[in-house]
Amino acid sequence: MKQIKIDPITRLEGHGKIDIFLNDDGEVANTYFQIPELRGFEQFCVGRPVEEMPRITTRICGVCPEAHHMASAKACDAVFHVEIPPTAKKLRELLYNVFFAGDHTTHFYALGGPDFVVGPDAPKAQRNILGVIAKVGLEVGGKVIEMRKRTQEVIKTLGGKNTHQVTSLPGGVSKGITEEERKQIEEHCKWFVDFGKFTIQVFNDIVLKNQAYVDLILSDMFSMKIYSMGLVDEKNRVSFYDGKVRVVDPDGKEFVKYSPNEYLDVVSEHVEPWTYLKFPFLKKVGWKGFVEGKDSGIYRATPLSRLNAADGMPTPAAQEEYDRMYKTLGGKPVHATLATHWARIIELLSAAEMALDLVRDPEITGTNIRTIPTATPTEGVSIVEAPRGTLTHHYITDERGILKKVNLIVGTTNNYAPISLSINKAARGLIKKGTVVTDGILNTVEMAFRAYDPCFGCATHTLPGQMPLVVNIRNKDGEIIQEIKR
Amino acid sequence: MMIDQKNTTLVLGLGNDILGDDAIGLLAAREIKNKFPDKVDVVEAAVSGFEIMEILEGYESVLLLDAVVTKLHPPGSILELSKEQFENVVAISPHYMGLPDVFRYAEKMKIPFPKQIRIIAMEIEPPYEIIEGLSEPVQKSLPKFIEKGSSILSELLHNNSTK
Repeated sequence: MKQIKIDPITRLEGHGKIDIFLNDDGEVANTYFQIPELRGFEQFCVGRPVEEMPRITTRICGVCPEAHHMASAKACDAVFHVEIPPTAKKLRELLYNVFFAGDHTTHFYALGGPDFVVGPDAPKAQRNILGVIAKVGLEVGGKVIEMRKRTQEVIKTLGGKNTHQVTSLPGGVSKGITEEERKQIEEHCKWFVDFGKFTIQVFNDIVLKNQAYVDLILSDMFSMKIYSMGLVDEKNRVSFYDGKVRVVDPDGKEFVKYSPNEYLDVVSEHVEPWTYLKFPFLKKVGWKGFVEGKDSGIYRATPLSRLNAADGMPTPAAQEEYDRMYKTLGGKPVHATLATHWARIIELLSAAEMALDLVRDPEITGTNIRTIPTATPTEGVSIVEAPRGTLTHHYITDERGILKKVNLIVGTTNNYAPISLSINKAARGLIKKGTVVTDGILNTVEMAFRAYDPCFGCATHTLPGQMPLVVNIRNKDGEIIQEIKR
Repeated sequence: MMIDQKNTTLVLGLGNDILGDDAIGLLAAREIKNKFPDKVDVVEAAVSGFEIMEILEGYESVLLLDAVVTKLHPPGSILELSKEQFENVVAISPHYMGLPDVFRYAEKMKIPFPKQIRIIAMEIEPPYEIIEGLSEPVQKSLPKFIEKGSSILSELLHNNSTK
């Protein structure tokens, strides 16, 4: 048996490793996607006061601290049985939508987008934001920088700090905004909406006008018919900060809609011997292995699945784009994994529009921003949508609010099974008997998981130490017969 | 990440203070801050890619302190790395821009970027456990790491003053 190994593990980024095993005929026998897991978080938290969690959880991950900050603050509200004032909720939601727009920008332009903009077969050195700039011009690079600066400024104003936010706490927020700050944020939000529309146009011009890309998006090897999960508001529209979780089946029919505190009735976790990370699945359908279809409990929690699980977007321009996406791709639900990029920028636009609506809300400058908790703390569950998937925080405390148990299901963990399945399908679709495995082929396999915007380690940063990607192809005796470095 | 820039020289400590040895850059930055009061800006951060670029923007010189896993040296080894060493390295990440991309991007976009960038990193074991505190070899090397950082920083400040 030959083994093709894609091992992009660098230092702290929590990267995975893809092993593709070939049989003697040179066809894909199996694939394994392994992830180093961060251990010890629960033990770290147990014994600490629960109100510290919104500040501790931002430190798990340098990529989406805002998501953990919000999920944690909401879980604390639940633990203390407190309803937060409307102004506090709107301030949190404003911060969260601005964060969402910024995070989706980074993924589209720097991480996932280059596959399309520069092309999946382009040399690795060009498949990055520099390649994007080379292809579409410096103007885009400048806009991306400005988008990031503006989102950071708003997050700093609302969150106290722009990396490890501190303002959300049990019962509300610690800081409101003045009319002057509101006006500044409103100007930024107007810019975000324009940027969202610009991004849709970039996608339209570069991806949708290229038939080869559209064919790739719609190809069988990148299609996976499974359940879709996402948070929805009271009108079943996509929601990032609050609501109920809705799951639709592969035909788009509602399977379940649940409140955060019911998550254990809906989701269970499967264990495989070759990885420490667990595979969440829908309990009532059951774990049937890495297979698609209505009888398999595997679900996705991604931008695309959020759009599939909802009846629409909460804002007008995003709704227009939502309708166009489903019309273009043949109706709802869409199971084309690569359409996740399109869904992501529709969410970017929606988050921008939502932020603009919120900052124009007369209550946003209100001064009643916190309800001091008075009830005895017990247990609380919260769910937000992190950019890369549904995020659940569950805390149990004693009567003093000291943590006894902590359980988190982070965004990407939800997608562990579908990512594994997507890689398998892409590898089988691309590597046939006699195929010469090229850099372009391996990158196209990687595109299957990059679409999910995966972030496994919840680790922090990266310095030097990046290792070149080494691909080893081995014969059945384990000897390397081909080595590809990229 | 937005910071209030007061000086032209920056000490940037990178790391996560609840990820064991990964905190080494932050701890060293804190100590160095005490040794050079008011002469340099000191930032502790757990960020990557664009955010590093945003922090570095506008400074003339930078000392970067971090942990690194090369698996080529025993834990506690101190490595000085140069920006040029990354010229031919392609960042591999499904989620971040690596430093090489940051440097290239800043250049391409004509962002005012430090002319002097010095990087020192300490070799650590891959940190996969959420825990506070350093391992023995890393703790033992911390004073030397601070010393090395301080010495480089003195050079940077000297270079700035003689320009």
